[in-house]
Amino acid sequence: MSGAGLGVAVAVEARKAIASRVMASTTALLVVGVGVLALGMLLAAASGDEQVLAKLGPLAGVPGWAGLVGVVLQITAAAGVLAFGVALSWMFGREFADGTVAALFGLPVSRPAIALGKLVVYLAWSVAVAVALTGVVAIVGVAMGYGTTDAAGAGAIARIPVLVVLSALIAVPAAWVATIGRGLLPGIAATVGIIVVAQVSALADIGAWVPFVAPALWAIAPDAVPAAALLVVPSVPLAFGALCALAWSRLQLDR
Amino acid sequence: MSAAPRFEGRGVARAFRGGAGVHGIDLDVAAGEIHALVGLNGAGKTTLMRLFLGMLRPDSGEVRVCGVDVSRADAATWARVGQLVEHPLAYAELTGRANLEVAARLHGLDRAGVRAAVDRAIDEFDLGRYAGVRAGRLSLGNRQRVGIAGALLHEPEAIVLDEPTNGLDPAGVIVLRESLLRRAAAGAGILVSSHHLDEVARVADRITVLNDGRIIGSLDPGGFDLERAFFALVHDDDATRRAAA
Repeated sequence: MSGAGLGVAVAVEARKAIASRVMASTTALLVVGVGVLALGMLLAAASGDEQVLAKLGPLAGVPGWAGLVGVVLQITAAAGVLAFGVALSWMFGREFADGTVAALFGLPVSRPAIALGKLVVYLAWSVAVAVALTGVVAIVGVAMGYGTTDAAGAGAIARIPVLVVLSALIAVPAAWVATIGRGLLPGIAATVGIIVVAQVSALADIGAWVPFVAPALWAIAPDAVPAAALLVVPSVPLAFGALCALAWSRLQLDR
Repeated sequence: MSAAPRFEGRGVARAFRGGAGVHGIDLDVAAGEIHALVGLNGAGKTTLMRLFLGMLRPDSGEVRVCGVDVSRADAATWARVGQLVEHPLAYAELTGRANLEVAARLHGLDRAGVRAAVDRAIDEFDLGRYAGVRAGRLSLGNRQRVGIAGALLHEPEAIVLDEPTNGLDPAGVIVLRESLLRRAAAGAGILVSSHHLDEVARVADRITVLNDGRIIGSLDPGGFDLERAFFALVHDDDATRRAAA
């Protein structure tokens, strides 16, 4: 695969992503949704709503930025993976659902380059989502008055972009499954599977070293996950990115 | 310009479960030639075209494009190819022009060449009115026009078009016909399938008839009553196979 081919694939995929309503609405839903949900939970907790307090668990009594960031991370660990998995399933699965995959044969830009181009654009998009969500949470925090009451705790907000990008990384298998399954739904099913494994394991406090579990566990209990365990998470996109490139290289229109 | 056939298949076979597919096909498309494939639905036309483009790998036989084995064709070889098999490259979220620009980049044109090629294609395929409209809002025929324009805007030497007149209005059919004749005259080798025998007769140098995954004969593009000749070939072949079964 030539570097020029990958460059063209990235440019083409970026153009499709920017023009697509799926990507724009996913970004808006995730960023605004998480912000509103976090604000609502904090307000309900402050008013003493017992159901919300139970959901928040140990976070219930945490004041200031740490409490806000903790709530956002809990929501994002599940909602983020879902949003990223759905977007990725669309990026890959739509070529099969729309039939456009046939037009991606017989080109000087190879199909593995196109698959990797999609992943590059996806990861760049996840960084943009991370920045946007962090910005929204910062605004919510300042609106809650944490800017003056808990200025020293503002550093906790740095955990948000880390978790958003980690969530994007562990959703990458959805791209491979959407390719193998030739459509959106298999990718979305894989995403749900990843969320179930991550959330159930994290709640059971197991799997700090399992890349699919580490981000969710780190979101709930940062002390339970060593920093080195988070460094293992990129093994997921590396392995499944390679599988994607291989699947697109060997692709046949035989179904 | 090389003397190798634009497309060359020798003993090409690819079988699917249930017996469908193609079974030992020899077929060439020379430079400057329009070679038409006709056959009933399920005869193997699309399968054969997919094999020529690497969308399927043959169970046996050889498939070459511009003299290069399809399984080993590099970027320089594929840059000489243009194709539209079944679905056009027309992303719903992109405008007609944006789709053509994407097609131009994917076909290997550099940034400087894209604009000129897209302008030419919009002019040739009369797409000016639809250049700023999202493909998702275009009619089937206009999406097909965008797809054909995108497949041909880099002036490929080896062209495969599967049922290109699908959805086209009579004006679109004429634009396509002129476009193919011009490209063949300039040296392109074109493999095209169609159900419209009259249309095929207007453009093709050779007409090959496929039935049940095999070549069963050819039709004379200048001949009288192609439809009768076509069905005579198909019915004879069906009768022969039934007798042998």
